Amino acid sequence: MYIMKRLGLILLLLTLAACGGAASGGDPADVVERYLTAKVAGDGDALRPLLCSPMEALFSREVNSFSTVEGARLENMDCTRQGDTDVVTCTGEIVATYGTETNRFPLSSYRVVQEDGEWKWCGESG
Amino acid sequence: MARKFTLVLLLGLLFTRALSAQTTFPVMTAFQDAILYAGPGDSHIQLRWLPAGVPVEARERNVIGNWLFVSTPDDGIRGWVPTGYLNANPDLHLSDIPINAEIPDGDPANVPALSVASLYATPIISPVSAAMLDVFARGQELGNRANVITKVGDSLTADPMYLTVISQEAVVLGPYDYLADTVSYYGESTALASVAAQIGMATYTVFDPMWADPALCNAGESPLECDYRRKLPSIAFIMFGPNDVLHNNAEEFAQNMRDIVEFTLERGIIPVLSTFSYSPENEYWWQSVDFNQAVIDVAAEYEVPLINLWAAARPLDNYGLETTDGTHMNRSGFTFLKYDSGHESWYGLSLRNLLSLKMLDDLRLALISDEPGD
Repeated sequence: MYIMKRLGLILLLLTLAACGGAASGGDPADVVERYLTAKVAGDGDALRPLLCSPMEALFSREVNSFSTVEGARLENMDCTRQGDTDVVTCTGEIVATYGTETNRFPLSSYRVVQEDGEWKWCGESG
Repeated sequence: MARKFTLVLLLGLLFTRALSAQTTFPVMTAFQDAILYAGPGDSHIQLRWLPAGVPVEARERNVIGNWLFVSTPDDGIRGWVPTGYLNANPDLHLSDIPINAEIPDGDPANVPALSVASLYATPIISPVSAAMLDVFARGQELGNRANVITKVGDSLTADPMYLTVISQEAVVLGPYDYLADTVSYYGESTALASVAAQIGMATYTVFDPMWADPALCNAGESPLECDYRRKLPSIAFIMFGPNDVLHNNAEEFAQNMRDIVEFTLERGIIPVLSTFSYSPENEYWWQSVDFNQAVIDVAAEYEVPLINLWAAARPLDNYGLETTDGTHMNRSGFTFLKYDSGHESWYGLSLRNLLSLKMLDDLRLALISDEPGD
């Protein structure tokens, strides 16, 4: 019984921690990784909620960006938020083929913003 | 007495000139039986066959020179034929052949499908509008380089055999001697690779910074912005369509083309648009007709130059496209420009280069003919 109570308490704490994370918008690096994954896959349903308001107008560009190349995939993606800034820097690359040619798109740094408590991808970091 | 002598001299001179003009038509033969048309394009009425080996005089040409009006000396056989269907004649200098600009490139009345009539009715090379002179002048104020061109598009445009090839020393113009000054004026600039012409590119990726080469472009810069900043061109050859047609609709494509044209004009760069060749056997044929019409409409809307590659390539085998994929333009096999063997009438890439050079020639003459030292 005691063990069950402890387990319940731990589960409750974990749930609260998860809720706390969501309330602060989650991990911006994770948002960028999910954005890149959705963009490469051309997954509009997954991509749309990750775009900040100014980028919503570019949804078509974003979702179609890799539709002309075959087998686009992410390799060695690793994204990290730069301290407390609004910049997430990623290493790795997108690899795609077109006929017999291989295109490589190195990942770079991206800007993230919080909208309604949620982190959103908001373009390249200039 | 003196007046009589002068009159005789004048008549003699006129006779000599007339005789000279009459005898300067280069005589050529078709290397295989060829159809003669009523005008310089395959939508004109077919008149008759020109049998192989029958000598004909090249009496007129279209503005480009890739179609000749030929006739036997007795006028028994007359009509228009692609220049490349005739055996090469080293005496053929297109700069000496009178231009017939009155007969249009196409005759839409003979086209069976109404949907493509407009594509046939559009000139192969549009005139240079007065608005482009203003764009060029503004570009010069912004620091653009008058003799620099760039290219924007997908793999068909990124191909180093398209325009980039002009930078090579070995350019054989053959009968197209009138293009020599243009080749030497712009040739060197084509050697610098364009960031905005890439394999797989489409109208919606040319503004996507993810497609910009980070080794050449600034963070957050789109390929188009990056290319224009790096090259400071005065003219951009732009062709999209074969990739867009697979994933886009004509309305969105037209809007994307407008965005590209406006972005280019804002920087004082003249956008030269082009329709793209497509095969009716392709499953996206009808979409491609709409997309090409959109290109024509956008060019007209902004009064920017247009190359109607679609119409020009219709007479070519497989519309100038590779038989393997039906998308890319087929090539002659030579790694340099070679126009002394009629390649422009057989290979899509040779034709596209020729049309681009002709458009460049028109632009150069319109834009910089008054420059000191030109």
